[in-house]
Amino acid sequence: MRVPAPKTPPQRPAMQEPDEFDRLYRDHVDLIYRYAYRLCGEAESAKDLVQETFLNAYQGLKDFRGEAQVSTWLYTIASRACIRMRRKRKGQPEHELSIEEFVPTSEGEFRLQIPMDGLSPEEALQNKELQQALDQAIDKLPKKYRLALVLRDMEGLSAKEVGTIMGLNERAVKSRLHRARLFVRRELSARGITHHDDHKSGGLRS
Amino acid sequence: MTKKKTAPPKKQSGPSSHRHTHGQGHCMDLLRQLSAYIDDELPSDICREIRRHLGACPNCEVFIASLQHTVTLCRHRPAPQLTSVDRMNMRHAILNAANAR
Repeated sequence: MRVPAPKTPPQRPAMQEPDEFDRLYRDHVDLIYRYAYRLCGEAESAKDLVQETFLNAYQGLKDFRGEAQVSTWLYTIASRACIRMRRKRKGQPEHELSIEEFVPTSEGEFRLQIPMDGLSPEEALQNKELQQALDQAIDKLPKKYRLALVLRDMEGLSAKEVGTIMGLNERAVKSRLHRARLFVRRELSARGITHHDDHKSGGLRS
Repeated sequence: MTKKKTAPPKKQSGPSSHRHTHGQGHCMDLLRQLSAYIDDELPSDICREIRRHLGACPNCEVFIASLQHTVTLCRHRPAPQLTSVDRMNMRHAILNAANAR
């Protein structure tokens, strides 16, 4: 009796191991969404960036040799995708930040303050004006500085890891990070956000 | 009679004797190194020098506090989380896009 030939299996998607993708997605989607949200500043763009990142990861997983941590690899893909997406949207060159532009030119400017004395960071961030000013300042950063700040100060990676992701040496990472911090500090303090005792609502000085 | 040479002033140290050169060398040098100082990446002698400058320059002291606050706020800024529906929808969209390519 002739044994029927097994049916031809359905054509496999580009990736070798679909289960591997599901595991990758399940374990890292929250991490990459958090990173994407911090880079994009709003949910819909962040979701677009997450999808672009995992689509690229899906297609590149078979070539991933495990030389870097999976999270570092995904951060790298997301960072590149972010640069591509923002370039498409804005289409304008972004300027370099120099230390000189952050030198205060008056004593008053030197002494601008951020209202968080005596408060924990969590309490200070309940001041909606301060939170909004922080988000806007980060969003205004030129992207290469934003990437350095978000990866180092918000995602908590080391300068070495940030260098791996951005293709820079540690010295260059620290230089960008320093300029990014000075930029955000200036934006925050120049808003003149007042200190509120109840810190539930904030206000900007007119 | 030869005029006696005046000895150059001794290099002074300590907060009380620190010459305030605000807007010139010291403050500018400090500005360049603040992140490394905050991140504790500088050698101890440079840290001592910076602390000495901060003790004598209230403007720089306030400036570094505000930079430190900036870093602290960034480190503690919460990010929203995805819902399970979002996770599921995005997974479908990714797999559909991958199969369409």
